[in-house]
Order: sequence, then C-alpha cells, then structure tokens
Amino acid sequence: MTRGGLLLAVLLGLLPGSLNAAPSLEYAVKAAYLPKFIPFITWPDAAFAGAGAPFTICALGEDRFAGKLDLAAAGLRAGDHAVEVRHLAASDSSAGCQLIFLPAGGDPASIREILDAMRGKPIVTVTDSGLSAHGVISFVIENNHVRFDIDDALAAEDGLAISSKLLGLAHAVRMRSQP
Amino acid sequence: MNTAPLTGRKRNWSPMVIGALAAAAVLLAAGVLMAVYQEQLYSAQQAKSIREQAQILAASVTAAVVFNDQKASQEYVDALRVNPELQAAAVYGGGGRLIAGFARATRLPSTMKEARAATGIGYIDIAVPVSQNGAQVGIVLLRALTEPEERRIARYVGVILLLTMGALVIAVLSFSQAALSRRAQELSRLNARLYEEMEERRKTEEALRQSHKMEAVGQLSGGIAHDFNNLIMIVKGNLRLLRRKLGTQAENSPAGTYIESADEALDRAAHLTQRILAFSRRQPLTPQRVNLSTLAQGLTELIRHSVGEKVEITMRLNGTWSTLCDVNQMENVILNLAINARDAMPEGGRLVLETRDVTLKQPPAEMENENFVPGDYAALAVIDTGSGMPEEIRRRAVDPFFTTKPQGKGTGLGLSMTFGFVRQSGGYLAIESKVGRGTTVTMLMPRDREGP
Repeated sequence: MTRGGLLLAVLLGLLPGSLNAAPSLEYAVKAAYLPKFIPFITWPDAAFAGAGAPFTICALGEDRFAGKLDLAAAGLRAGDHAVEVRHLAASDSSAGCQLIFLPAGGDPASIREILDAMRGKPIVTVTDSGLSAHGVISFVIENNHVRFDIDDALAAEDGLAISSKLLGLAHAVRMRSQP
Repeated sequence: MNTAPLTGRKRNWSPMVIGALAAAAVLLAAGVLMAVYQEQLYSAQQAKSIREQAQILAASVTAAVVFNDQKASQEYVDALRVNPELQAAAVYGGGGRLIAGFARATRLPSTMKEARAATGIGYIDIAVPVSQNGAQVGIVLLRALTEPEERRIARYVGVILLLTMGALVIAVLSFSQAALSRRAQELSRLNARLYEEMEERRKTEEALRQSHKMEAVGQLSGGIAHDFNNLIMIVKGNLRLLRRKLGTQAENSPAGTYIESADEALDRAAHLTQRILAFSRRQPLTPQRVNLSTLAQGLTELIRHSVGEKVEITMRLNGTWSTLCDVNQMENVILNLAINARDAMPEGGRLVLETRDVTLKQPPAEMENENFVPGDYAALAVIDTGSGMPEEIRRRAVDPFFTTKPQGKGTGLGLSMTFGFVRQSGGYLAIESKVGRGTTVTMLMPRDREGP
C-alpha cells in the first residue's frame, strides 16, 4: 500500500494533469487505485472461501495496466488475506473474485450482462471510465484527473460496506437508502 | 539615668514578625507554584487539545492521503482554520510531500523533513501519523502558537498583584505590631529601671542617713564617754588616795566596803565608757597582724563554754589571709557575736564560725556602706540557726543602745561596739538575717598585704 501510494504520489506529483497525452498514465493511476479501495471496503465473511483464502483482484479482458496492477498489488494484504491479481478472459468464471475491474473497450452489452450477474454477490465491481454501465465503483475522468463515482446503494445490495472516508473522496455518490 | 538610644539597640525579631514573614513567603511561594502548575497544566492541555485535533484530522484524512486527493485533504485541513491558535496545519503523504495545508503568518514547510527542522520558540508542532491498517501512509502536522510571554504575564498579573498586596499587608501589619510591642516592652523596661533606681536611691539615702546618724551618735557619745572617762579616772584616783589615807583603818570597817563598792561601780562605768568609745571609734587600739582562722581556733573552747551544750559548734576555717587589728578587741567581738547567736537560739541550734578569703569589687548586698573600697578581705562570719530578725530590726541592729533583749539583760552596745571596732580597723560589717532561719554576721577585715 505504501509503495503504491508512493508510486502514485510520484506519478501525480511529477506529471500533473496530462492523462490524455499518455493513456498509459491513466491506467497506471487506475492500477494504483484498485488495491487502495480494499481497506475502505468491508466484505462479508461469505465472500471468501475460507480464512486462508486470498483476496483476489480480477481484471477482465486484456491487461490494460501493462503489469502495473500486479506491481501495485504485490505483497499487499487485505486483513488476513494476501492480495493477488487474476486476469480473466471473458469466458472465465468470476468465482473467488472480491473485486473485479471491467475495462472499457469491450462489448457494452456483455459488460451489462456481467454486472447483472454480479448483482447481489459480495463482489465490488469497478467499471472503467467511458462505460455507460456502472458498477459499485466507476472511474471518471474529470479535468484530466482520474476520479471515481460510488454507487453505495448497489454496494448495499451486494452486502458490502464502504467507508465514509472513501465516499467522501468520490466524485459522485449514489446513496444507499437509509434504514 | 542612662537611656540607651532606641536606634542603637540590636533589633530583636519577635516570633510574630518571623511568623508573619514566613506566612507571607509561604503565600507568595504557593502563588508562584500555583501559577507554574497552572501554566504547565495549560501548556499540557493546549498540547493535548492540539494533539486531539491532529488525531481527528489524521483519522479523517486517511482516504484523501491514500488517494493523494489534494482537494479533499484541503477541505479537511481547512476545517481547522476556525481555531485561531493554529498557526499552520498540513497533511503530508507517505513520501513526506505536502498534500494540503494552510499557514498563517508563517511559511508552510513543503516537506515533512523541513517541518521537523523548523521547530522553534513561540510555537509547538504536533505531528501525528496517518495510518491505515497499522501502516503509516502520511503525517498530519499542526503548528500552534504558544501563548506569548506578555499575555501569560497579563493573565497572572491579577493574581500576582493580589498575592503581593496580601503579603504586603501581612508584613506591614506584623511590622507595626512588632514595633508597637517593642516600644511597649521598651517602656516597661525603662519604667522598671526607673523604679529600681528610685528604690536604690531610697536605700542609699537611708544608708547615708543611718551612717550620718551613727556618725553623730558616735561623736556625741564618744565625746561624752571621753570626758566621762576622765572624770571616772579622777574619781578613781581620789578613791585610791582616800584608801591610802585610811590605811589599815579601812581594812575591816564599813568605810573600806563603801570604797570597794564605789570602786567596782567606777570599774563598770569605765567598762561602759570603753564600749562607747569603741563604738565611736575613739578607743585606743593596738593593731597587730593576725590570722582570723588562728584567732578563732584559739577561741573555740571559750566559745563552747559561753554558748553552752545546747548549741552545736562548727568551725569552717578556710581563711588564710591575715589582717591588722587589735587582737583583744577582735576576741571580744567574736565572743560577743557568739553570745548574741546563743541568745538567738534559746532552744539550741547550730553555730558556725567561718573564715574565708574574699575579693570584692562591690559591697555585699546586705552591707549599707556608701564608701566601700574594693579589694581583698579576710572574712569572718558567725552564723546561727536562731530566730533571726525582721528587716526593720536588722537595720537598727548596730544603733547604740538599741536592743531587743529584756530590760537589764542587754546594753544595746554589743553590735554597736563591733561595728565601731570593725570600721575603726578599716573593715566592714554585714548582717544578713531571715526570720525563723537565722542570722549571719560577717566581718570583712582588709587583708594585710605584708602578711601571707
């Protein structure tokens, strides 16, 4: 986490506001963000196969991060679980994933399909910017900065609890209905 | 009368002044301690308050630090602007880089390292780590102004004033109280001395009067006795001539008896005049060097006979100095005193004959004599455990013809004669007496320097 933060800080600090000029930087930021979401989200115990099971970040489709996600998540832990990254093909099962990244560029219909399939499951769906369908977290680009929206209502449906700290950072939040 | 100047007197701190000063000091010390304690408490509370604010900021800014969200961080930091104590607040990321912050009147350190190096006087820096799951992701730094010296002093000036006033009031009160009591003491002391001096003067006057009286009586009676003595001698001479004229005729006739009786009466009269002359210090004396201890020792048997068996006699003859006096008269005097002592102890008692060597700078208290010569004296004391005498009798004891003995028993000349003899020999007579305890008659005879 610290290394990720450092990387991010260096990246943002040295090259501010020039995401368009270097799309790879946009994904570097997103790669740094993905593991950082984990400490602010609470998964139900049922989300894991067992006490020793890893925390799996799944990235669908081709690797947009060019290995940077693996780098950012390397050596991280989420509570008792070691964090690992798994790259999924479209046909692969999402079983065992706690957080799944759906990149832009694919078939919107299939994205929507996947999202529907994930509904009610304790999986944090992260949708890339530029997609019309949104998961629990969806990246947005604002003023050349990577930001994110949070659909807390959807998270509630999935049995996930998102820290208000994270909600406070979000670009926009769809609030869960008050109990 | 000698009055010591008040200013020259050694200042004596009364316990009250010391107590009051101590109380004032304790009050001041307590005030200072309280102020210091309050100050430390205040500083500690300020530091604690700042630390709490830093901890709150650190806890809330976590996500913003993790995601390097400057805007969100700034919002969190800006919330602290309402606290006017805060000089600066800053959030640093994991690498120590500044993410967000504000600064008032001071420059915001751009890195944590710089912030650490810039600590100084007048403010305190409180740094609290921003951590997530036990790992440090950043640091929150709050810089608070410590209260300026003037404001701190201003805060305590009221208390200090009150304390000082209190201490001053106590000090002034106790000082004036002490001064008052000192003056009162001084006054009463002076008064006592005045009384003392008055009493002394009265005594001296009385002694002088007594001495003058004795002198006058002595001169008068001495003159009379002298002439009387001459007359007696003429009568005695004529009686002798008459006896010679009668020759053997006088032997067995009433005339011889008449002459005998007249002669005896004349002897008694001569004896009387001798004693009067002794008192008036006009008797012919033949002074010899004599050691009073030896003299007294030689008289022991005679005294024992005179005082009888009821009186126990103790000799304490420690005197070694000799004196010049008429030995016969001295023996008479000692015997006389012993007989006086016996008469004071009709039921028996203890008679002490004591001789001592004394060096005197001033006359003994009981001795009323204004022209005392300091020096070495051979003292002889006759001490009895008899009835003693009250002060007014003691004072008149040496007056001629003054006696407390029944009529016909005493002549009232014993002590007068002793007094006259002692004075004529250059000595002094002191009489101490306590009713029911006894009497001590002390003769102080000047030491004969030629002797041992």
